[in-house]
Amino acid sequence: MESKPLLRMANISKQFPGVRALDNVDFEVYPGEILGLVGENGAGKSTLIKILSGVYSRDAGTIWLDDTPIEPRSPQHTQELGISTIYQELALIPHLSVGENIFLNREPLRLPAMGMVDFRKMHREAERILHSLGTEVAGRTPVKNLTVAAQQMVEIAKAVSQKARIILMDEPTSALSSREVDALFGMMHQLKGQGIPVVFISHRLEEILEVVDRIIVMRDGHRVGTLSRDEATEEKIIRLMVGRKVGLFPKQDAEITEPVLEVRNLSSNNGVRNVSFTLHKGEIVGLAGLVGAGRTEVARAICGIDRVIGGEIRIDGKRVHIHSPADAVRHGIGWIPEDRKQHGLLLRMTVAQNTTMAILRRISNALALMNTKEEKALTTHYVNTLSIATPSVNQIVNNLSGGNQQKVVLAKWLSSNPKILIMDEPTRGIDVGAKAEFHALMSHLARQGLAILMISSEMPEIIGMSDRVIVLCQGRVTGEFKRDSMTQEAIMTCATQFVKLDAFADSITAS
Amino acid sequence: MNTPETTMLDSRQTAAQRGLTAWEWITNLLKSPVFIMFLVAIGLLAYGQSQNPNLMAEDNLKIMTRDTAILGIAAIGVGFVIITGGIDLSVGSMVGFGGVMVAYLMKEYGWSIWGSVIGTLVMGAFIGLIHGLFVTKLKMHGFLITLVTMGLARGFILVITESFPITGLTEEFKSIGQGYVYNLIPIPVIICLVIAVLALYLLRFTYIGRQIYAAGGNAEAARYSGVNVDRRIILAYIVSAVCAVVVGIIQAARMGLGHPGTGEGYELLAIAACVLGGYSLMGGEGTVPGVVVGALLIGILQNEMVILKVDPYYHKIIIYTVLLIAITIDYGRRRWRTLMIASVIDSLRQRRE
Ligand SMILES: Nc1ncnc2c1ncn2[C@@H]1O[C@H](COP(=O)(O)OP(=O)(O)OP(=O)(O)O)[C@@H](O)[C@H]1O
Ligand SMILES: [Mg+2]
Repeated sequence: MESKPLLRMANISKQFPGVRALDNVDFEVYPGEILGLVGENGAGKSTLIKILSGVYSRDAGTIWLDDTPIEPRSPQHTQELGISTIYQELALIPHLSVGENIFLNREPLRLPAMGMVDFRKMHREAERILHSLGTEVAGRTPVKNLTVAAQQMVEIAKAVSQKARIILMDEPTSALSSREVDALFGMMHQLKGQGIPVVFISHRLEEILEVVDRIIVMRDGHRVGTLSRDEATEEKIIRLMVGRKVGLFPKQDAEITEPVLEVRNLSSNNGVRNVSFTLHKGEIVGLAGLVGAGRTEVARAICGIDRVIGGEIRIDGKRVHIHSPADAVRHGIGWIPEDRKQHGLLLRMTVAQNTTMAILRRISNALALMNTKEEKALTTHYVNTLSIATPSVNQIVNNLSGGNQQKVVLAKWLSSNPKILIMDEPTRGIDVGAKAEFHALMSHLARQGLAILMISSEMPEIIGMSDRVIVLCQGRVTGEFKRDSMTQEAIMTCATQFVKLDAFADSITAS
Repeated sequence: MNTPETTMLDSRQTAAQRGLTAWEWITNLLKSPVFIMFLVAIGLLAYGQSQNPNLMAEDNLKIMTRDTAILGIAAIGVGFVIITGGIDLSVGSMVGFGGVMVAYLMKEYGWSIWGSVIGTLVMGAFIGLIHGLFVTKLKMHGFLITLVTMGLARGFILVITESFPITGLTEEFKSIGQGYVYNLIPIPVIICLVIAVLALYLLRFTYIGRQIYAAGGNAEAARYSGVNVDRRIILAYIVSAVCAVVVGIIQAARMGLGHPGTGEGYELLAIAACVLGGYSLMGGEGTVPGVVVGALLIGILQNEMVILKVDPYYHKIIIYTVLLIAITIDYGRRRWRTLMIASVIDSLRQRRE
């Protein structure tokens, strides 16, 4: 490895009200390396990235790029310096198209003198970049119509197409399935070959170990260790991160009894086609598939957000008509959405107010008066169970770290005590320790009779936690596996069934 | 697994925490824009008093508090809509509508006082309901539908009054606007206090209020949490329209006639009071004490300008200049976070730690 760092940060400190987010942190990036940055939720990773990219100002410390001290003033400014960043919370402009987002501020021009944008070229170029990342999205689609994963791919495309000198990626893979992750890693290696370093943050340690050259571990705002690729093991990283050993949580068997949710030939106006499955009391069913396979759409149809255009839904054997999320809640269905910022949280409200959002009526008396003591006790309980790092239950959720925000969404739906809990990427952005605890909690709840439908892009999570896996591809069910027969390969084969067919059809028509 | 009884702290720790929360409470108060506005209002009073001692004389205080209370009622009402992220431009016309309607019902139909008042309130609520339905079911922005009502309601009262005031109201009715409790406190002030307390209860202590804030903060997330967002938005528009009609009734009683021109431009004053009180036009923010202080500030300013004999042509310029200064400071503070006071307090706190 070259001896001189391309970028160096020294003695960086940052204080938020009630939280010391960074305490005297040093950080360095060498040319052409892939650097992993890991740490528990709230360890200060995103804060470090945001200081480097000019979102936050630092309280103390110095930053050098190429031996020249730099003063990141704003994200635009650091972009000009050659640092491009993918933020943890997606920052695309929803109403603009994919192409417009990727080429924001550097649109290809047709008549440069008149500032006329060459939209055709822009959209074609956008599609080309996304294609090289293994994602097929039309360049003119408005970003707001994309799933979180696809939006994430657009963010990645935007960052890598900026011809940056350093690329910072804050949890780019948290919503991606293995196929997109592989494409992203390919891209990272390509950048590395060009001498462009990539800083990569992830809570999926197997990904970290697969791709990085060096790992920096953070805990409670300190840098607690550096590991080279050769000496790093999952266990070592975890020990540095958490200070104790955390294993994968083995799922405990629960008694699976009568059917709670029966879905028969469900079709929706948003791409779900003829989906049937049954969810039993005490059962955890995993919903697997590639990005865009229609997993989220199945959840949305059940919860009354998308319109059901065919088939039926039965709860406890009775046919139900769910027209709105409020209906779903009334029928005992909880839904942990994939996109916490848009659909899950009231960012300007407090942890406590978010936690009780779905049970407000239950904690209020006949005069509509809320029992704030109960609210506080309940929130404190979940802050402890899920180890949400927050100075108090009255902290504004927007000020929490990404993983801790996700835990607040979990707390909201766990506290609502539902009969059926649909989880869309429930552990997105959650650290290993808390993830194991959450899995233990899931298992515990299933034993108490909760029926869980879990959507996850993380194969180990699907295989580790599910009693049964249903595989979707392009809105249709293409496979079902019991616990004893599920393997990653088998699931992937089903998940790509039609994709292969389509590719086949394409090759025929092309020739 | 942990149990909810995690609040079992040892006594020293709780005492320390209590100390900290009291300290925090004070610093939060000092930092809060509402409190600063309140200080400004007091300062304004003190200045006026030094210029003309009549300002704080009993007679003038009665006038000042009554004016403030009337504005306060309208502002509290429109504040509900602003919290949901909407806007109600029909407040002024609804004030006129309320005043004319209550007089019309009494004079033309011979309804009793209470009958006319309740009848007018019901009509106000109905118009609010219509606004709410347009906003929630047709997804129309509140700006548009209330703009339409602003014109329609004013036009309607011109038609039924033929632009002549409806006169000859009974003394008993007039006492709603002109009367006093214990010969001291104007009845409109009492009405305003009752409405403020009810609004405070609803917004701060009930789940309905929480849901109103949620509807303005992130309607989609609220809806996905099972909140009936539409119903809360409709409620907000109803409250706004009813409050406007209440103001109209008080104004009619106070002037002793139903005047078709009453309340012109009042919507802007009411919205200004909300904004001064810390409401965000993006929705999701604002408190009842805030809007009361906002109304107080405008009320004092208006009254003081009269007492200090400021040329009436300048009144609007002065009020809206004050508004401009206040919102500039507020937005600047949000933008750069560190207003002098806030940073001083932070450094004090750090020294304590
Ligand atoms: N704007 C803010 N205001 C107040 N506190 C903040 C703010 N941003 C971050 N924090 C606090 O700083 C700490 C570090 O947050 P940061 O986002 O850097 O964590 P992280 O390592 O990225 O965690 P995660 O893995 O959950 O994303 C957290 O305790 C968080 O609550
Ligand atoms: Mg983070």
